[in-house]
Amino acid sequence: MEKERGRIMSKKLISLADCCMAFDGELVLDHINLYFNDSEFLTLLGPSGCGKTTTLRIIGGFLTPTSGEVLFDGVRINDIPPNLRQVNTVFQRYALFPHLNVFENVAFGLRVPKTETVGGRKRKVKISEEEIRQRVLEMLEVVSLKGFESRRITELSGGQQQRVAIARALVNRPKVLLLDEPLGALDLRLRKDMQSELKRIQQQLGITFIYVTHDQEEALAMSDTIVVMDGGRIQQIGTPEDIYNEPKNAFVADFIGESNILDGVMHEDFVVEFFNRKFKCLDKGFAPMEPVDVVIRPEDVDIVPPEKGQLKGTVTSVTFKGVHYDTIVDFKGFKWLIQTTDYHPEGETIGIILNPDDIHIMHKSQYSGMFGDYSSYSEEYDELEDVSLLEEDGEDEE
Amino acid sequence: MKKTNRGGSRFLIGLMFLFLYLPIFLLIIFSFNAGDSSAVWRGFSLHWYSELFGNRLIMESLYMTLLVSLLATVISTAAGTFAAIGLYSLSRRKRDALLVINDIPMMNADIVTGVSLCLFFVAFFQGWGAFAKWINGMQSAFELPTRLTLGFGTLLLAHIAFNIPYVILNVAPRLRQMDRNLVDAAQDLGCTWMQAFWRVILPEIKPGIVSGALIAFTMSVDDFVISYFTAGSSTSTLSMAIYGMTKRRITPEINAVSTLLFLTVLTLLVIVNVREARQERRSASMEPRKLTWMEHLAVRTSGPRWKWVKRGAGAAMACCFVAVVMFLTGATSSRPVVNVCSLGEYIDTDLITQFEEETGIRVNYQTVESNETLYSLLKSGGADYDVVVTSDYMIAKFIEEDMLETLDYGNIPNFELMDERFTNLYFDPENQYTVPYTWGTLGIIYNTSMVEEEITSWSALYDDKYAGNVLLINNSRDALAEALFYLGYSANTTDASEIREAFALIADANRRGVFQGKVSDEVFQKMEGGNAAIATYYAGDYLTMAENNEDLAYVVPEEGSNWFVDAMCVLKDAPHKLEAEMWINFIASTEANLANMDYIWYASPNREALEEYPAYYEELYGEELDQETYEIMAAPPEVLERCEVYENLPPETLQLYSQLWVELGT
Repeated sequence: MEKERGRIMSKKLISLADCCMAFDGELVLDHINLYFNDSEFLTLLGPSGCGKTTTLRIIGGFLTPTSGEVLFDGVRINDIPPNLRQVNTVFQRYALFPHLNVFENVAFGLRVPKTETVGGRKRKVKISEEEIRQRVLEMLEVVSLKGFESRRITELSGGQQQRVAIARALVNRPKVLLLDEPLGALDLRLRKDMQSELKRIQQQLGITFIYVTHDQEEALAMSDTIVVMDGGRIQQIGTPEDIYNEPKNAFVADFIGESNILDGVMHEDFVVEFFNRKFKCLDKGFAPMEPVDVVIRPEDVDIVPPEKGQLKGTVTSVTFKGVHYDTIVDFKGFKWLIQTTDYHPEGETIGIILNPDDIHIMHKSQYSGMFGDYSSYSEEYDELEDVSLLEEDGEDEE
Repeated sequence: MKKTNRGGSRFLIGLMFLFLYLPIFLLIIFSFNAGDSSAVWRGFSLHWYSELFGNRLIMESLYMTLLVSLLATVISTAAGTFAAIGLYSLSRRKRDALLVINDIPMMNADIVTGVSLCLFFVAFFQGWGAFAKWINGMQSAFELPTRLTLGFGTLLLAHIAFNIPYVILNVAPRLRQMDRNLVDAAQDLGCTWMQAFWRVILPEIKPGIVSGALIAFTMSVDDFVISYFTAGSSTSTLSMAIYGMTKRRITPEINAVSTLLFLTVLTLLVIVNVREARQERRSASMEPRKLTWMEHLAVRTSGPRWKWVKRGAGAAMACCFVAVVMFLTGATSSRPVVNVCSLGEYIDTDLITQFEEETGIRVNYQTVESNETLYSLLKSGGADYDVVVTSDYMIAKFIEEDMLETLDYGNIPNFELMDERFTNLYFDPENQYTVPYTWGTLGIIYNTSMVEEEITSWSALYDDKYAGNVLLINNSRDALAEALFYLGYSANTTDASEIREAFALIADANRRGVFQGKVSDEVFQKMEGGNAAIATYYAGDYLTMAENNEDLAYVVPEEGSNWFVDAMCVLKDAPHKLEAEMWINFIASTEANLANMDYIWYASPNREALEEYPAYYEELYGEELDQETYEIMAAPPEVLERCEVYENLPPETLQLYSQLWVELGT
């Protein structure tokens, strides 16, 4: 299913080859193979503990993989310390230096004397004060913080601190910027603004962003490529559209957006059976009579009067969501989530029609049967929100 | 109900603070006393402070204290800071366990820390001695010193060791507060770990480091117990010097130096606490804090133009530190040296300066509080003295145990000046080992305003008439000798029945409540303040007491008493024997004896000095020396005739002495 992704000029900048990471004998990364293209906005997406932050820290140089190779431009960099990598990081909760003001925070990386080997001789390279000033101001302009140079960090709002953190990382002109849940601490409104801001900055500078988040909306909105991870493994790599429309397994289907996942049997190419009924679909290449997972997105379902429907069910709950109603419909004991702009009151019997392109077929996987049933619908929503807040605290304490 | 409770608790709190601070106030007040008593106020004066700065023993130990504290603070602050950072790279469980282990030495009794460090050093030195001999035997290219002793090095190591936990304790909370990503961020931005340390960690934990250093310095200045066990014989800190001084007699100089020490420590603790309170307030209120003047300076001087100015200032400060350290070490090292150990407050310290000026030999003058302490110090191997001053019976013991070097009297021509009454005595019949230092008698001191009659007999000590007003000397040898004299026996008897009879006399008087208590140095305050009527002590000390209380009288009882000789001797294998003999010769001179006699009120064994003293006194003070006083100081032959010198007792008799003394109880 995996296709050669990305754009025309893409070239592999960073590769992880068969990387494993174990803490105290527990496998956190399980044979990860992954590459990052130049100038790509790539998101590592997954729930807490899926290994996405660990992957990021391996690229940043803060962790050395237990086995496998990290390649930068084809050169192995496993043992290169973070200070010598052409990679910079925007940390969770920013990690700004409280004893320095905005200007000095941004200038920090430029002021560190670096040794460079020229013609076999080591010498210290220092950037002139004038250049530092120019680059810092330029970068503050990029993140729209002009005029804030002499502010103290404690005087800034969360969003402003976020911008300082980005400027501080970008001022070093890295080839790759790593962002570790950078928007996690911001409120919803600010988060939306920063999403487009980040995307703008990435396009303006044309460098690779590797972005870690557990928020699928964020991932879909910003990324060129999404890598969905769970349990230390990569579940799927693809463009946002691929991931959403053609999830590879029940985990991805459930984690990205809402999905009704049903047990089905593939009779032949383009014909699937579920609820004792055959439906036309667009999928092929399955073994005859292979048991499969059938994904139906809640917004793809068309509601019709019961007598016209392919299936008949009873509405058991309705929630108004603004743009649409979340309607839970009981089909022979299996509850579906259907998103519709029409109101169907509780108790009403309705019919539905599924077009071939509304149906997506997946191979059975370890996640089959775990997701896609909306019997306990409302709680599932809440749980996800809670998890997202607690996220990563555990992962930090290696 | 509630109200009375509150009043009651206020009263208790008031009482508590009174109890805590009254002694310190008294100390401070008496440091300004014009007289030299610790009990009688003679008007305001700064005399003792000026005296203090002229006292070379105190000033030298002050240098030592500052030097050790400074070095220990710098080293332990650096070590403790890195240790704390190391702890924070461990997992939480390991870190917490190690922090608990870190707390234990701070809560541990100082005496345990001190003794264990002392044992450790001595054990190491022994191992080192064997190792060095082996190495020296293997090759001849270089020679390792085989004999290491406790001294400045061990003192410094001990201070560093007990300071480190305090530094960790202060730095650890700052590290806990620090966002751990900061170090990652710095490294991410191109810093090596060391650069990250200087640029990020250090500024973040600086407040903790500063308060850790301040506390470490305070602890170092303040410490007595651990220093006492690890400084060895040739080094002493201020608190050790004070302790040595209290053993002989408490002079208001001690009050003055204690006041200064108290104020220093108080100031440091106030600084630490104010800093902490300010930081807490700052972290409690989220509003932006005001810049401190340091930070203002830092902001003003940021930028490349100031860089060299700042570097210069840093270099200047480092130079200052090195200069201070060199000055302090210079004040205590190099040059030929002689290590002298004597009883506390037992010399006119001007003589030390004079000797140093004349010969260029540095005198490292240390004191111990008693003959017995000196003995155990020498036996423990922790001492490296050349000359010791000690009493007759102890010299006998030293000679018996082959601890002394025979003297080359050719280097000590002044020995000829000694009165033959004080040479060739029983403890050194051939006079090969010793040169007498002082002599005197033991007698009864009584307060004539409290005792009507003239006391002439030891019986007064056991008389119900003075019940509750007699002070028993806290020294089994003297106390039993008094009873033996009273019973007409020799003080050197080895007859157990005679000793038991003497003991029964004391025990009986004790039961009847005659004794107010057993005292050693408290005798000065008690007698000067008129808190007891009768005591027994040495003639020279009586004269000191009489200066502060004119009602006191002294008598050598008719039954006879002890007379004693303290003498100078050189220890076996002393490293500076020639210097030692030069020192002994200097002290034996008539001039030195006169000065010493005038200063410590103990009689000189120098024939000329003894004769000339009344004239010397008259010239010095413009008044005639009272004949009675002179005879108390230097007992006339008819008094000495009825006195007896203590001899070294056989072990079984000594054991009986200590057994009986324990039986008597407190």
